[in-house]
Amino acid sequence: MTGPGGPPISGRQPRAVRTALAVLEEVVAAGPGVTAKEISAALRLPPATTYRVLNLLVGDEYLVRLPDLRGFALGRRAARLSPVAVPRPSTAARAVVEHLRGMVRWGVHLAVFDGGRLHLADPDPDHPPSDPDLLARLPQASALGRLLLAEQADWRALVRDLRPVTGATLTDPDELAELLPAVARDGLAAQTGGLRPDRGCLAAAVRSPADRRLVAGLALSGPAGRITDPDPDLVALLRDHADRLGPLLG
Amino acid sequence: MGGLRDRSPVHGLVRRRLGPADVVAQSIAGSAPSAAMAATPVIVAGTAGPYTVWAFVAATVLAVLVAASIGRFTTRMAAPGGLYTLTAQGLGSAAAFAGGIAGVAGYLLLCGAALAGAALYLGALLAPFGAGGSWFPAGAALVGGVLVTALVVRGVRLAARVVLLVEAVAVAVLVGVFVLLLAGGPLAGAPAPASPSPGAGGLVAGVLPALAAFIGFEVATSLGAEARRPFRSVPRAVLATAGITGVLYVFAAGVQVNGFAGVPGGLAAQPQPVQVLATARGWWWIPPVLDAALVLSFLACAVATATALSRVLFSLARDGAVPAALGRTHRRFRTPHVAAVAGVPAATAAVVVPVLAGVPTGAVLVALLAGATIGFLITYVLVCLAAPLFLRRIGELTPAAVLTAVVAVPALLAALAGFVVTVPTTGIVLLAALLAAAAWFAVLRRPGGLRDLGVYDETVASDVWDRAA
Repeated sequence: MTGPGGPPISGRQPRAVRTALAVLEEVVAAGPGVTAKEISAALRLPPATTYRVLNLLVGDEYLVRLPDLRGFALGRRAARLSPVAVPRPSTAARAVVEHLRGMVRWGVHLAVFDGGRLHLADPDPDHPPSDPDLLARLPQASALGRLLLAEQADWRALVRDLRPVTGATLTDPDELAELLPAVARDGLAAQTGGLRPDRGCLAAAVRSPADRRLVAGLALSGPAGRITDPDPDLVALLRDHADRLGPLLG
Repeated sequence: MGGLRDRSPVHGLVRRRLGPADVVAQSIAGSAPSAAMAATPVIVAGTAGPYTVWAFVAATVLAVLVAASIGRFTTRMAAPGGLYTLTAQGLGSAAAFAGGIAGVAGYLLLCGAALAGAALYLGALLAPFGAGGSWFPAGAALVGGVLVTALVVRGVRLAARVVLLVEAVAVAVLVGVFVLLLAGGPLAGAPAPASPSPGAGGLVAGVLPALAAFIGFEVATSLGAEARRPFRSVPRAVLATAGITGVLYVFAAGVQVNGFAGVPGGLAAQPQPVQVLATARGWWWIPPVLDAALVLSFLACAVATATALSRVLFSLARDGAVPAALGRTHRRFRTPHVAAVAGVPAATAAVVVPVLAGVPTGAVLVALLAGATIGFLITYVLVCLAAPLFLRRIGELTPAAVLTAVVAVPALLAALAGFVVTVPTTGIVLLAALLAAAAWFAVLRRPGGLRDLGVYDETVASDVWDRAA
């Protein structure tokens, strides 16, 4: 892997690529704790090659070494290699979202977080949100995405693309770093004009009642001007519905 | 998969934050290449004579071997404790404790030496304005110590950025000056009479001071927990530093040897070769520019080594080997502030006290450097010896790792012995400290209150797929 300014990847080492993928596959198949020797034997690879590939994959954090330093397991980053189709939220959960839609004149969207990705599970049909792929690609630009980033031990792993969509899109990683602790503390994120100049959104965290894990986010989208200074009653209403979704999604 | 903790045993530091440029800058600054480029070739020439450049080549090869040994560990684990933590994985706790004490001594003395160097060259720079006596260098070292402490406490990112910027300026100035001197060609004079060749013995003796020019190049190891993608950036930073500084030293030595090729006695007869070369061409402005660059380089070295010193003390405290207070971290700045506030003033005092007592600053610098070199050589020997044992323990031994140790360990032991013979005082002090450390370890170990040494930033539950929240 090369960073910006590095030499372009030639793609002329098919065996190295195949070996890396085979090693990843073997770690999954053998389960956490498999050692380099075992991988080398199972794949009939020369030990030195196996160690080099393993160290490369550990360096890039697709694999991690377990605390005994002998065994390997899939790293958090590998989760992004296996996106899973997110099931439709239950009728009960959609009823809660529908209830909120009946009470406010804003767009109401439900997003589910899985494997470090944002999936729009129930977008508001009357107030269509931004392109779902754009939301998933630029988590830093949306209020829902910021909820997801604030929950990460290392949010930089999820932010790969800092391009602007509008003039107000957040593109400075340091600014994002300053903003996320408050999001994590309050369980509430806001964004104005970053995806569409005249719109903003406000998102509340939905947590599993069992372990307080972040499972989803419930967002209100509306005029940018009203997001910067939101009505406290509206925020309370949003939080109330987010809390009700916890047991249904967690 | 048992044994996964929920938080790292070295929690409290800013985890996985520093970029690769910051990490490599720390290591380069730690070895203070600018100062070594200006000062070391003369010392090497004193013993190696015509083999001066080759002595630097040999020292570079040795430094690269040490870097490779460190890399065997740092591609596999991230440890703020630096080399002693790595040693623990291959040689066990007793050797690790000896390495920890040697590492603390090395960083403390090198930080002191860097402060002394900054004060010395600041004095030279300001001499026309009346800076002199013993109060000026003492005061300058004191101010430097306060500044370094503040930077290290304030946050690793700020400290790393300052080091990156300052060291880049210093190295650029030095390289520029040497390119000018090289373009100037050798000083005019009768072809030097062939001086008696010191032979292979001279080459070997010359490797010692050349090797001392590298110490501190492994500083990046102690940023393991704080570097982003540490398994890639830390081993690369250490190896790149050994290579880059090696090339700089060979270049600097070549320029100076060439410059005095036509002068009787050659480079070895010159107390201040760069100044003489510059003045001979009428470039009066080079000495002050050089002095300013050296002040910057020494300051960057002080910050980098102080950062490492605080991490090693912090790690020893988390291991339970030194008072636990040293393992505390600042809640907002996320730095081991207690260790920094304890360590850096001690290094400052090692300069200020002897200077106020009337010892010339230059002599203090040389003595601190010699002591630091012994400490570093001990940690290098241990880590090179530990590397193949560690790999065998985890079942990943390769022939290359064994070969590295077979070449590096005897060479480093010879260098260590050579240094102790050349400068017996510092050698005795440090060997005594090591014996005391081993004895203290045995005493500490007996009540059963001490765990095995070597805490590192191990994989925690949230790093592992499907254990992550």
